[in-house]
Amino acid sequence: MKNYLFTFRSVTYAQKGERLLKRLGIDCFIRRTPRTLTNKECSYCLQIRSWDFQRALAQLQTAQVQFGKVYGMDYDGEFEEMKV
Amino acid sequence: MIYLDNGATSFHKPPGVYRAVSRALQRCANPGRGGYPSAMEAAETVFGCREAAAELFGCQPEQVVLTSNCTHALNIAIRTLVKGGERVVISGFEHNAVTRPLYALKANVTVAGRKLFDWDNMLTEFEKALRSGAKAAVFTHVSNVFGYLLPVEEMAALCRYYRVPFVIDAAQSAGVLPVHLERLSADFIAMPGHKGLLGPQGTGILLCGREPDPLICGGTGSASDQQEMPGFLPDRAEAGTLNVPGIAGLGEGLRYLRRVGIKNVFQREHKAAILCAQELERMGFRVFSGEHQVATVSFLPNIDCEEAAQKLAKQGIAVRAGLHCAPLAHESAGTLNTGTVRASFGHDADVQQVEAFCRAAAII
Repeated sequence: MKNYLFTFRSVTYAQKGERLLKRLGIDCFIRRTPRTLTNKECSYCLQIRSWDFQRALAQLQTAQVQFGKVYGMDYDGEFEEMKV
Repeated sequence: MIYLDNGATSFHKPPGVYRAVSRALQRCANPGRGGYPSAMEAAETVFGCREAAAELFGCQPEQVVLTSNCTHALNIAIRTLVKGGERVVISGFEHNAVTRPLYALKANVTVAGRKLFDWDNMLTEFEKALRSGAKAAVFTHVSNVFGYLLPVEEMAALCRYYRVPFVIDAAQSAGVLPVHLERLSADFIAMPGHKGLLGPQGTGILLCGREPDPLICGGTGSASDQQEMPGFLPDRAEAGTLNVPGIAGLGEGLRYLRRVGIKNVFQREHKAAILCAQELERMGFRVFSGEHQVATVSFLPNIDCEEAAQKLAKQGIAVRAGLHCAPLAHESAGTLNTGTVRASFGHDADVQQVEAFCRAAAII
């Protein structure tokens, strides 16, 4: 995968996640979640590069920052839901 | 103008607050809606305010619900805990922002603790009232009329012991005294952004120890496909577009307080209030002061209180007279018929303000 997207139920939680990860030196940015992934919801996600994924996942879980579904995005722009 | 009406609103804000408001007006779109730079800058501005509040008040950023003022925050809290006709315990010094929602809900209100500056009375009466069972308790941290600092830590402990959910009105204490959601284990703590927190009018904060019921329903930029308001904070209590320029200013006010230290703010205000009370007493006025007092002094002039305030205004002194939207407090203190003149000091309090005020007061 090229990137990973952690989805959040609101921008506030995405920002909480972003703050945590950036403090730990994990590069990420907040973006709107692609419509094809949201099932009519409006949400924000954190985009993480592939090599940071495992560390970001562990840190978000340890800090209990609530996130929703996680998707991998390949080089063709296709998404795949990750089981975490 | 010597501004001594900080109990109504703080007038002299730190310079950074004006800049932050102006910047937000020029750069911030609507947060939590779009994904383009000015929407994200708005979101960042709002989250920065939540973070600063969370740090000061001992909670998580999502527990900081941004409201339009303290009254709005209190209405959310009270209407979450009280649905109609239930027994609610309040202190004898509550503002109309507490008593009017309870009146509208036809709550069965028990007023506990009516003696000014008397902690024994407050705690004895409050416990007696809780022991009889209550749906909720709502009490102020500091009386907006008399500056009476209530024993909120002990009152919170009593509420926890008797398992009564409670709301603290921190309108006069936020930014001056320690207010900590986790330590107090409060269900809700409400405060304005525009008084001790030095933000603009049109801002307020509700710290949520539990999930509130939505007071207003509408768009939140989240869970948009659902017709129910979101079941998570802060969105559940924040329908509609936020006052982003106001919140930008509030965030800056909170960061200013973090730099200056609220202990230092308290010491300045407290010193000015004590000096003012002593000087007014020496001049022969009936002054309401006592051991547990913060930043605010009420006194009885020898003439109509509104006339007195008018005369003071003509001399460049800004104070408030009358009932201060708190008839219950005046009833408790025996000043319901006369009202009082109130001087309330702010973060910029100094001896010169006290001297100027007392010189002007001598003339009335």
